[in-house]
Amino acid sequence: MLDLTMQAIQASLDGLAARQRIEATNLANSETPGYTAQTVNFEDSLSAAIANGDPTQTQITTGVTTDPPNINGNNVSVDTETIQMIDTGLKYQLATQEMNNKFRILHDSTRQDL
Amino acid sequence: MTVTPIGGVLNAAGLGSIVPVTPETTAAAETDSSTAGVGNAFTQALDSLQGTQSAADSLAQTAATGNLTDIHNYTIAATEASVTTELTVAVRDRAVEAFNDIMRMQV
Amino acid sequence: MSSMFPTFDIASSALTTHQIWMNALADNIANINTVEPMSKPAYQEKFIVAQEIPSEPGEPVGVGGGVAPVAVQYGDATGMITYDPTNPLADKQGLVRRPSENLGDQMTNLIIAQRGYQLNLAVVDRARSSYQQALDINGR
Repeated sequence: MLDLTMQAIQASLDGLAARQRIEATNLANSETPGYTAQTVNFEDSLSAAIANGDPTQTQITTGVTTDPPNINGNNVSVDTETIQMIDTGLKYQLATQEMNNKFRILHDSTRQDL
Repeated sequence: MTVTPIGGVLNAAGLGSIVPVTPETTAAAETDSSTAGVGNAFTQALDSLQGTQSAADSLAQTAATGNLTDIHNYTIAATEASVTTELTVAVRDRAVEAFNDIMRMQV
Repeated sequence: MSSMFPTFDIASSALTTHQIWMNALADNIANINTVEPMSKPAYQEKFIVAQEIPSEPGEPVGVGGGVAPVAVQYGDATGMITYDPTNPLADKQGLVRRPSENLGDQMTNLIIAQRGYQLNLAVVDRARSSYQQALDINGR
Protein backbone atom coordinates (compact mmCIF):
# COMPACT_ATOMS: atom_id res chain seq x y z
CA MET A 1 0.00 0.00 0.00
CA LEU A 2 2.85 2.39 0.80
CA ASP A 3 4.60 3.66 -2.32
CA LEU A 4 8.33 4.33 -2.57
CA THR A 5 8.01 7.89 -1.28
CA MET A 6 5.95 6.81 1.73
CA GLN A 7 8.45 4.04 2.52
CA ALA A 8 11.24 6.61 2.28
CA ILE A 9 9.36 8.95 4.64
CA GLN A 10 8.79 6.07 7.06
CA ALA A 11 12.49 5.16 6.99
CA SER A 12 13.43 8.79 7.65
CA LEU A 13 10.96 8.94 10.57
CA ASP A 14 12.65 5.84 12.04
CA GLY A 15 16.07 7.44 11.61
CA LEU A 16 14.99 10.79 13.04
CA ALA A 17 13.37 9.11 16.06
CA ALA A 18 16.63 7.24 16.71
CA ARG A 19 18.57 10.50 16.38
CA GLN A 20 16.26 12.22 18.85
CA ARG A 21 16.88 9.45 21.39
CA ILE A 22 20.65 9.74 20.94
CA GLU A 23 20.54 13.53 21.29
CA ALA A 24 18.51 13.22 24.48
CA THR A 25 21.08 10.70 25.74
CA ASN A 26 23.92 13.08 24.86
CA LEU A 27 22.28 15.96 26.72
CA ALA A 28 21.51 13.71 29.70
CA ASN A 29 25.21 12.85 29.84
CA SER A 30 26.50 16.39 29.35
CA GLU A 31 28.24 16.25 32.73
CA THR A 32 29.20 12.56 32.76
CA PRO A 33 33.00 12.25 32.99
CA GLY A 34 34.51 10.45 30.00
CA TYR A 35 31.29 10.39 27.97
CA THR A 36 31.66 10.72 24.21
CA ALA A 37 28.72 12.20 22.31
CA GLN A 38 27.10 9.87 19.76
CA THR A 39 25.59 10.56 16.37
CA VAL A 40 23.04 8.79 14.18
CA ASN A 41 23.33 8.46 10.43
CA PHE A 42 20.71 7.05 8.12
CA GLU A 43 20.59 9.55 5.26
CA ASP A 44 23.36 7.99 3.17
CA SER A 45 21.88 4.52 3.56
CA LEU A 46 18.40 5.87 2.76
CA SER A 47 19.67 7.60 -0.40
CA ALA A 48 21.21 4.32 -1.57
CA ALA A 49 18.05 2.39 -0.61
CA ILE A 50 15.85 4.82 -2.59
CA ALA A 51 18.18 4.43 -5.59
CA ASN A 52 17.75 0.64 -5.27
CA GLY A 53 13.98 1.08 -5.10
CA ASP A 54 13.54 -0.34 -1.60
CA PRO A 55 13.71 2.24 1.22
CA THR A 56 12.79 -0.46 3.79
CA GLN A 57 16.41 -1.65 3.50
CA THR A 58 17.65 1.55 5.19
CA GLN A 59 20.23 0.97 7.90
CA ILE A 60 20.44 3.28 10.92
CA THR A 61 24.00 3.48 12.18
CA THR A 62 25.45 5.22 15.22
CA GLY A 63 28.85 6.86 15.44
CA VAL A 64 30.79 8.99 17.86
CA THR A 65 31.68 12.67 17.58
CA THR A 66 35.30 13.66 17.15
CA ASP A 67 35.04 16.95 19.05
CA PRO A 68 37.89 17.45 21.54
CA PRO A 69 36.90 16.43 25.09
CA ASN A 70 37.02 18.88 27.96
CA ILE A 71 38.96 18.43 31.19
CA ASN A 72 36.87 15.48 32.48
CA GLY A 73 36.94 13.62 29.16
CA ASN A 74 33.41 14.62 28.15
CA ASN A 75 32.92 16.08 24.69
CA VAL A 76 29.19 16.91 24.67
CA SER A 77 28.56 20.40 23.32
CA VAL A 78 25.32 21.46 24.95
CA ASP A 79 24.56 24.33 22.54
CA THR A 80 25.24 22.22 19.43
CA GLU A 81 23.14 19.33 20.79
CA THR A 82 20.29 21.68 21.68
CA ILE A 83 20.20 23.18 18.18
CA GLN A 84 20.52 19.68 16.74
CA MET A 85 17.44 18.67 18.75
CA ILE A 86 15.45 21.57 17.30
CA ASP A 87 16.73 20.61 13.84
CA THR A 88 15.72 16.97 14.28
CA GLY A 89 12.36 18.00 15.73
CA LEU A 90 11.59 20.17 12.71
CA LYS A 91 12.69 17.40 10.35
CA TYR A 92 10.45 14.93 12.16
CA GLN A 93 7.59 17.39 11.86
CA LEU A 94 8.31 17.81 8.14
CA ALA A 95 8.36 14.04 7.64
CA THR A 96 5.06 13.52 9.49
CA GLN A 97 3.58 16.29 7.39
CA GLU A 98 4.85 14.61 4.21
CA MET A 99 3.17 11.40 5.32
CA ASN A 100 -0.07 13.26 6.06
CA ASN A 101 0.04 14.88 2.62
CA LYS A 102 0.55 11.52 0.95
CA PHE A 103 -2.36 9.96 2.83
CA ARG A 104 -4.57 12.96 2.16
CA ILE A 105 -3.95 12.71 -1.59
CA LEU A 106 -4.64 8.97 -1.42
CA HIS A 107 -7.78 9.61 0.59
CA ASP A 108 -8.98 12.39 -1.73
CA SER A 109 -8.43 10.30 -4.86
CA THR A 110 -10.34 7.30 -3.53
CA ARG A 111 -13.21 9.36 -2.13
CA GLN A 112 -16.65 8.25 -3.39
CA ASP A 113 -19.22 10.70 -2.16
CA LEU A 114 -21.64 10.80 -5.05
CA MET B 1 -18.72 23.87 -23.90
CA THR B 2 -19.71 24.05 -27.53
CA VAL B 3 -23.03 22.99 -28.98
CA THR B 4 -23.29 20.84 -32.08
CA PRO B 5 -25.32 22.76 -34.71
CA ILE B 6 -28.63 21.18 -35.57
CA GLY B 7 -28.82 20.00 -39.17
CA GLY B 8 -31.66 21.09 -41.50
CA VAL B 9 -34.84 19.11 -41.60
CA LEU B 10 -34.88 17.12 -44.85
CA ASN B 11 -37.81 16.03 -47.01
CA ALA B 12 -40.52 17.10 -44.65
CA ALA B 13 -43.83 17.27 -46.43
CA GLY B 14 -44.22 20.61 -48.24
CA LEU B 15 -40.86 21.79 -47.18
CA GLY B 16 -38.73 19.91 -49.74
CA SER B 17 -37.75 23.09 -51.51
CA ILE B 18 -36.19 24.58 -48.43
CA VAL B 19 -32.45 24.30 -48.57
CA PRO B 20 -31.17 22.52 -45.51
CA VAL B 21 -29.10 24.65 -43.16
CA THR B 22 -25.54 23.45 -43.56
CA PRO B 23 -23.12 23.89 -40.75
CA GLU B 24 -20.62 26.68 -41.45
CA THR B 25 -16.92 25.91 -41.45
CA THR B 26 -16.49 27.62 -38.10
CA ALA B 27 -19.27 25.48 -36.71
CA ALA B 28 -17.53 22.41 -38.08
CA ALA B 29 -14.35 23.40 -36.29
CA GLU B 30 -16.33 23.79 -33.09
CA THR B 31 -17.72 20.29 -33.59
CA ASP B 32 -14.17 18.90 -33.81
CA SER B 33 -13.05 20.63 -30.68
CA SER B 34 -16.15 19.54 -28.84
CA THR B 35 -15.54 15.87 -29.52
CA ALA B 36 -11.93 16.32 -28.36
CA GLY B 37 -12.97 18.73 -25.56
CA VAL B 38 -13.96 17.09 -22.31
CA GLY B 39 -11.90 13.94 -22.71
CA ASN B 40 -8.77 15.81 -23.72
CA ALA B 41 -9.16 18.38 -20.99
CA PHE B 42 -9.52 15.63 -18.43
CA THR B 43 -6.48 13.76 -19.74
CA GLN B 44 -4.46 16.97 -19.58
CA ALA B 45 -5.68 17.64 -16.05
CA LEU B 46 -4.64 14.13 -15.01
CA ASP B 47 -1.22 14.59 -16.64
CA SER B 48 -0.62 17.84 -14.81
CA LEU B 49 -1.88 16.24 -11.59
CA GLN B 50 0.60 13.42 -12.11
CA GLY B 51 3.28 16.06 -12.70
CA THR B 52 2.59 18.04 -9.52
CA GLN B 53 2.35 14.84 -7.46
CA SER B 54 5.65 13.46 -8.70
CA ALA B 55 7.31 16.86 -8.15
CA ALA B 56 6.08 16.83 -4.54
CA ASP B 57 7.16 13.17 -4.20
CA SER B 58 10.66 13.82 -5.42
CA LEU B 59 11.01 16.77 -3.01
CA ALA B 60 9.65 14.56 -0.21
CA GLN B 61 12.35 11.98 -0.97
CA THR B 62 15.00 14.71 -1.05
CA ALA B 63 13.74 15.86 2.36
CA ALA B 64 13.77 12.31 3.72
CA THR B 65 17.46 11.95 2.83
CA GLY B 66 18.25 15.33 4.39
CA ASN B 67 19.23 16.99 1.11
CA LEU B 68 16.37 19.45 0.83
CA THR B 69 17.74 23.00 0.96
CA ASP B 70 14.54 25.03 1.15
CA ILE B 71 11.68 23.42 3.00
CA HIS B 72 9.15 25.91 1.66
CA ASN B 73 9.78 24.42 -1.80
CA TYR B 74 8.45 21.12 -0.52
CA THR B 75 5.54 22.51 1.48
CA ILE B 76 4.42 24.61 -1.50
CA ALA B 77 4.78 21.71 -3.97
CA ALA B 78 2.85 19.44 -1.59
CA THR B 79 0.10 22.02 -1.21
CA GLU B 80 -0.07 22.38 -4.99
CA ALA B 81 -0.33 18.60 -5.41
CA SER B 82 -3.01 18.42 -2.75
CA VAL B 83 -5.07 21.28 -4.16
CA THR B 84 -4.72 19.95 -7.72
CA THR B 85 -5.90 16.54 -6.52
CA GLU B 86 -8.93 18.08 -4.85
CA LEU B 87 -9.69 20.09 -7.99
CA THR B 88 -9.40 17.05 -10.24
CA VAL B 89 -11.57 14.99 -7.93
CA ALA B 90 -14.16 17.79 -7.87
CA VAL B 91 -14.18 17.96 -11.67
CA ARG B 92 -14.45 14.18 -11.86
CA ASP B 93 -17.40 14.22 -9.43
CA ARG B 94 -19.17 16.87 -11.51
CA ALA B 95 -18.49 14.94 -14.73
CA VAL B 96 -19.89 11.74 -13.27
CA GLU B 97 -22.87 13.71 -11.96
CA ALA B 98 -23.49 15.17 -15.43
CA PHE B 99 -23.24 11.72 -16.99
CA ASN B 100 -25.73 10.35 -14.50
CA ASP B 101 -28.08 13.27 -15.18
CA ILE B 102 -27.96 12.52 -18.90
CA MET B 103 -28.57 8.81 -18.28
CA ARG B 104 -31.63 9.65 -16.19
CA MET B 105 -33.10 11.85 -18.95
CA GLN B 106 -36.45 10.75 -20.39
CA VAL B 107 -36.01 10.02 -24.09
CA MET C 1 24.83 19.47 10.61
CA SER C 2 22.12 19.51 8.07
CA SER C 3 21.77 21.90 5.20
CA MET C 4 17.97 21.71 5.49
CA PHE C 5 17.98 24.47 8.10
CA PRO C 6 21.13 26.40 7.14
CA THR C 7 20.58 29.27 9.59
CA PHE C 8 21.00 26.79 12.45
CA ASP C 9 24.42 25.80 11.12
CA ILE C 10 25.52 29.42 10.99
CA ALA C 11 24.16 30.32 14.44
CA SER C 12 25.58 27.10 15.87
CA SER C 13 29.07 27.92 14.60
CA ALA C 14 28.79 31.36 16.22
CA LEU C 15 27.61 29.86 19.53
CA THR C 16 30.59 27.50 19.54
CA THR C 17 33.00 30.33 18.72
CA HIS C 18 31.60 32.61 21.41
CA GLN C 19 31.68 29.75 23.89
CA ILE C 20 35.36 29.18 23.15
CA TRP C 21 36.01 32.91 23.47
CA MET C 22 34.25 32.95 26.84
CA ASN C 23 36.37 29.95 27.91
CA ALA C 24 39.54 31.83 26.93
CA LEU C 25 38.37 34.93 28.83
CA ALA C 26 37.49 32.79 31.84
CA ASP C 27 40.98 31.33 31.68
CA ASN C 28 42.51 34.80 31.46
CA ILE C 29 40.50 35.94 34.48
CA ALA C 30 41.25 32.73 36.38
CA ASN C 31 44.96 33.37 35.92
CA ILE C 32 44.87 37.06 36.72
CA ASN C 33 46.86 36.42 39.92
CA THR C 34 49.04 33.59 38.66
CA VAL C 35 52.64 34.30 39.63
CA GLU C 36 55.55 32.74 37.75
CA PRO C 37 59.25 32.77 38.60
CA MET C 38 61.58 34.95 36.50
CA SER C 39 62.95 31.77 34.86
CA LYS C 40 59.55 31.09 33.24
CA PRO C 41 57.28 33.19 31.00
CA ALA C 42 54.43 35.01 32.73
CA TYR C 43 50.87 33.77 32.20
CA GLN C 44 50.11 34.90 28.63
CA GLU C 45 46.72 36.36 27.90
CA LYS C 46 44.84 34.21 25.34
CA PHE C 47 43.24 35.72 22.26
CA ILE C 48 40.88 33.64 20.09
CA VAL C 49 41.25 34.34 16.39
CA ALA C 50 37.86 33.97 14.69
CA GLN C 51 37.42 33.76 10.96
CA GLU C 52 34.46 33.72 8.60
CA ILE C 53 33.64 30.32 7.08
CA PRO C 54 33.42 30.92 3.31
CA SER C 55 30.26 29.94 1.48
CA GLU C 56 30.14 26.49 -0.03
CA PRO C 57 29.87 26.10 -3.79
CA GLY C 58 26.24 26.33 -4.79
CA GLU C 59 25.28 28.55 -1.88
CA PRO C 60 23.88 31.98 -2.74
CA VAL C 61 26.70 34.40 -3.48
CA GLY C 62 27.92 36.26 -0.44
CA VAL C 63 26.24 34.05 2.14
CA GLY C 64 28.91 32.43 4.23
CA GLY C 65 28.80 29.39 6.47
CA GLY C 66 29.26 31.16 9.78
CA VAL C 67 32.33 31.64 11.93
CA ALA C 68 35.06 29.39 13.27
CA PRO C 69 37.81 29.81 15.85
CA VAL C 70 40.98 29.21 13.83
CA ALA C 71 43.83 29.98 16.22
CA VAL C 72 44.85 31.07 19.70
CA GLN C 73 47.30 33.92 19.99
CA TYR C 74 49.19 34.69 23.15
CA GLY C 75 49.93 37.99 24.82
CA ASP C 76 53.11 39.32 26.36
CA ALA C 77 55.32 36.69 28.04
CA THR C 78 57.44 39.20 29.92
CA GLY C 79 54.53 40.07 32.15
CA MET C 80 54.58 42.60 34.94
CA ILE C 81 57.85 42.15 36.81
CA THR C 82 57.02 42.69 40.45
CA TYR C 83 59.18 42.96 43.55
CA ASP C 84 57.83 40.38 45.99
CA PRO C 85 60.72 39.01 48.07
CA THR C 86 58.52 36.97 50.43
CA ASN C 87 57.13 34.98 47.53
CA PRO C 88 58.72 31.49 47.39
CA LEU C 89 58.94 31.85 43.59
CA ALA C 90 60.96 35.07 43.81
CA ASP C 91 64.52 35.08 42.49
CA LYS C 92 67.59 36.48 44.28
CA GLN C 93 66.54 40.05 43.53
CA GLY C 94 63.07 39.26 44.94
CA LEU C 95 61.36 39.54 41.52
CA VAL C 96 58.44 37.50 40.12
CA ARG C 97 56.37 37.72 36.94
CA ARG C 98 52.72 38.60 37.11
CA PRO C 99 50.40 38.61 34.07
CA SER C 100 50.32 41.91 32.22
CA GLU C 101 46.68 41.48 31.15
CA ASN C 102 44.11 44.06 32.13
CA LEU C 103 41.10 42.88 34.13
CA GLY C 104 38.93 45.68 32.75
CA ASP C 105 39.58 44.48 29.20
CA GLN C 106 38.76 40.90 30.16
CA MET C 107 35.47 41.85 31.78
CA THR C 108 34.50 44.07 28.85
CA ASN C 109 35.26 41.28 26.40
CA LEU C 110 33.35 38.82 28.57
CA ILE C 111 30.25 41.02 28.30
CA ILE C 112 30.74 41.32 24.52
CA ALA C 113 31.17 37.54 24.21
CA GLN C 114 28.09 36.90 26.33
CA ARG C 115 26.02 39.36 24.29
CA GLY C 116 27.26 37.69 21.10
CA TYR C 117 26.17 34.32 22.47
CA GLN C 118 22.72 35.67 23.38
CA LEU C 119 22.40 37.32 19.98
CA ASN C 120 23.01 34.03 18.22
CA LEU C 121 20.49 32.26 20.44
CA ALA C 122 18.01 34.93 19.29
CA VAL C 123 18.95 34.07 15.70
CA VAL C 124 18.17 30.39 16.42
CA ASP C 125 14.84 31.44 17.87
CA ARG C 126 13.88 33.60 14.88
CA ALA C 127 15.09 31.01 12.37
CA ARG C 128 13.10 28.34 14.16
CA SER C 129 9.89 30.33 13.90
CA SER C 130 10.57 31.11 10.21
CA TYR C 131 11.17 27.45 9.46
CA GLN C 132 8.08 26.57 11.46
CA GLN C 133 6.04 28.94 9.32
CA ALA C 134 7.47 27.41 6.13
CA LEU C 135 6.45 24.02 7.53
CA ASP C 136 2.96 25.25 8.21
CA ILE C 137 2.26 26.19 4.56
CA ASN C 138 -0.59 23.90 3.58
CA GLY C 139 -3.27 26.01 1.93
CA ARG C 140 -5.81 25.42 4.70
